[in-house]
Amino acid sequence: MNYPFWNIPYLGSGWVIGIIAIFHMMIALFAVGGGLYLPLAERKAMRMTDPETRAAWLAQLVGYSKFFLILTGVFGTISGVGIWFAIGLTHPEATSTLIHNFVFGWAIEWVFFIVELSTAAVYYYTWNRIDPKLHLTVGWVYAGASFFTLAIINGILSFMLTPGDAWLAVAGTGHEAGKFWFALFNPTYWPSLFLRTCVCASLAGVWALISASRIDGDKQPALKTSLVKWSVKWLVPSFVAMPFLMIWYYRMVPASQRALLILGIDTINAGTFSIITRIALVIIVTSATIVGVAYYLAYRNPVEFNLSHALAVLLLALIATGSGEYAREMLRKPYVIGRWMYSNGVRVPYVDRINQEGYLAHSMWVWWNGRPTGFDMLTSPGDTDPLDRPYSYSRGEAIFRGECGSCHTLNGYRPLAQLLAGRDRANIGNFIVMLHENKPDSPYRRFMPPMVGTKQDIDDLTNYLNAQVNPPAPGSQKGVLTAQK
Amino acid sequence: MTSKTIYHWIDERLGLSELAAFARHKTVPVHAQSFWYYWGGISLFLFLVQCFTGVLLLVYYRPGAEAYESVRQITFVMHFGWLIRSAHAWSANLMIFAILVHMFSVYFMKAYRKPREFGWLSGMALLGIASVFGFSGYLLPMDELSYFATKVGLQIPAVIPFVGPAVANMLRGGPDVSEFTVQRFFALHVVVLPAIFLPLLAFHLWLVQRHGNAVPPSVEALPPEQRKNMPSFPNFVRKDLAMWLISLNILALLASVFPWALGKQADSLVPAPAGIHPEWYFMSPFEMLKLLGMVKWLQGEPGEIAGILLFTLGIVLWILIPFYDINKESGQRARAAHYFGLLAVFALLATTVIGYWTIR
Repeated sequence: MNYPFWNIPYLGSGWVIGIIAIFHMMIALFAVGGGLYLPLAERKAMRMTDPETRAAWLAQLVGYSKFFLILTGVFGTISGVGIWFAIGLTHPEATSTLIHNFVFGWAIEWVFFIVELSTAAVYYYTWNRIDPKLHLTVGWVYAGASFFTLAIINGILSFMLTPGDAWLAVAGTGHEAGKFWFALFNPTYWPSLFLRTCVCASLAGVWALISASRIDGDKQPALKTSLVKWSVKWLVPSFVAMPFLMIWYYRMVPASQRALLILGIDTINAGTFSIITRIALVIIVTSATIVGVAYYLAYRNPVEFNLSHALAVLLLALIATGSGEYAREMLRKPYVIGRWMYSNGVRVPYVDRINQEGYLAHSMWVWWNGRPTGFDMLTSPGDTDPLDRPYSYSRGEAIFRGECGSCHTLNGYRPLAQLLAGRDRANIGNFIVMLHENKPDSPYRRFMPPMVGTKQDIDDLTNYLNAQVNPPAPGSQKGVLTAQK
Repeated sequence: MTSKTIYHWIDERLGLSELAAFARHKTVPVHAQSFWYYWGGISLFLFLVQCFTGVLLLVYYRPGAEAYESVRQITFVMHFGWLIRSAHAWSANLMIFAILVHMFSVYFMKAYRKPREFGWLSGMALLGIASVFGFSGYLLPMDELSYFATKVGLQIPAVIPFVGPAVANMLRGGPDVSEFTVQRFFALHVVVLPAIFLPLLAFHLWLVQRHGNAVPPSVEALPPEQRKNMPSFPNFVRKDLAMWLISLNILALLASVFPWALGKQADSLVPAPAGIHPEWYFMSPFEMLKLLGMVKWLQGEPGEIAGILLFTLGIVLWILIPFYDINKESGQRARAAHYFGLLAVFALLATTVIGYWTIR
């Protein structure tokens, strides 16, 4: 409401975040796991008694750390900024809440982040230039710094699912930052941290397999065998611990969110929000079988293990990680910040107020004649008077973009035109009224936020959606799409 | 100690050691095209998935007048019924895709040449039966799409001169697609086809074991000391298992993220909805017949007959390839066969793309 709506047709703004985030997670979690892998591999090499084997291992690690530096330092950092950029546009209200609450957390993270980036560069550029023990210490400093970035960001991400009662008690009072530590170490913090740490270790092994697959097995069979086998072992901790950690995580999630996990057990009907159950199945299958694939392809055939095999393992890791992140996002529904802010950016306590004043009452930027603060600064002398400019879109479309657009598109991802197909105007109107009333027995209440606004807002949204679902025949008069402010 | 004793006990009775020793002697060639060897195994795995999920579906599916209702219950009422149905449908499609890849890899490696002619012929028969499996299974939910697609599909045999209408009527169980057609297709799908498919599959696998994997002509031309092999057991088997697990993941992803939908109940009294089209693996022949029908002097029934004849001729030539591309050397005939294969791939892809492009 206080910010412009970011409309991404077909794909939906959520998937803009999703695509960047999944790409980022594959690298960011590797940045943490790889931070542990590198010094442990270096220490293992330094303890080797055979100088030839030791030299071969260290030479391989030099190349691997270069790959690590480029992947995490360039692609990881750019995509990380991309996520914040995208969530700022998609969920400005939620981002604003996070910034107000966690500015101190981000300050801590950035300190560790700078240490992380610096030590990654120092680690690579000082191979064979400084004392090996000091070089190893640089590696350990990197590992510590990267882990702390995870520890901080994990607090912010898990906060969005379970902000905790202590924070919720002061939410909206202006004293939220006073509960910073409660918000950071929220109910799902620890299971989430352990889960992510396990995934970090697995991804370290998976990416190391990519690097090890490039070793010529005919020329260096011993090196390839030892490195491939050692890397596969990095997948084992998460394989063993994951079921227990998942159960722990599940038990810490509020019952209302846990209920979302079982919605898809017996149906795939449209509008039943069965996606979390279905994605959970993908996570289970992929997490349970990736070790088997790595075992058969890599551990038992290390010399013949090639890049195609390694890419297959990476693909499975991508499916598991992507599904995990997607499920975590979906598990928050109907909130973007648990029990505090709905997924359409409406704060829970503000619902009654918006129902009285109207959804667009404070959306000054929607209307040219609204003249938001600083608007004049954006106009040049040659421009026409903003007051004379036409409305860019109808009230109904503005409400659609604001209230529906963060989860739905018209004709692409979760398409409303398709989901509402077959309904006439009255039927669409009844459906919106049902969402507006948000009664305790409404099946949609479990995963959809209430439609907030006045009677006029409901009518305008109904008219707009009806015109999309039941477009007027060519030549006939257009539907009511021109309702003004 | 206990496990050794148990193994010894079983070995004495079943001769497992002899089997293991036999398997250890088998080798699989290693070269740049070895990847294509896994597609036969992937097809087999997907077939096993279908057997497993098919039996589970059989528990709740009721052919005949209640067909749609039973599939509706499986999809929208039973716990994980949708998953079993999705896995069954997706694995069927993936299996046909895997068989096609397997067939083309065999073709371009010229693995149909002596002494593997029966391997090629049995493989082609398995592909044919797999498509009939697909066609018969597609109708079983008896929703709008499957009903009309089957109706259109059965018009193809109906145009065969003299016997066509009788064959179509026999398959339909009457002049139109109805619950009797579902009964017949069900019997075909779960009894008749498996009864033919399983022994043929066993024969095909036995031939693979007997003759081993063929190598492409470029590798065949190498002197024996330059060729590389890996033991079939356990090396190749392990990789095969990894491929099965990867296939399982792809299947799980597709079945979960894109669960197989169920449309409205079929109603013969309503007009066919827009965009009715056959499954993707029948799209190419369907489109070829459509394109031939557009040729000015082939319009109408003569065009349909000419199209079917032309198509049948192409398939016969394809099936009989081992009998006219017989020389080991890369002569003119071998090159012609190679270009014929490329033409088939191009025609298949192009007509499929055009078919989907022009769906109305």
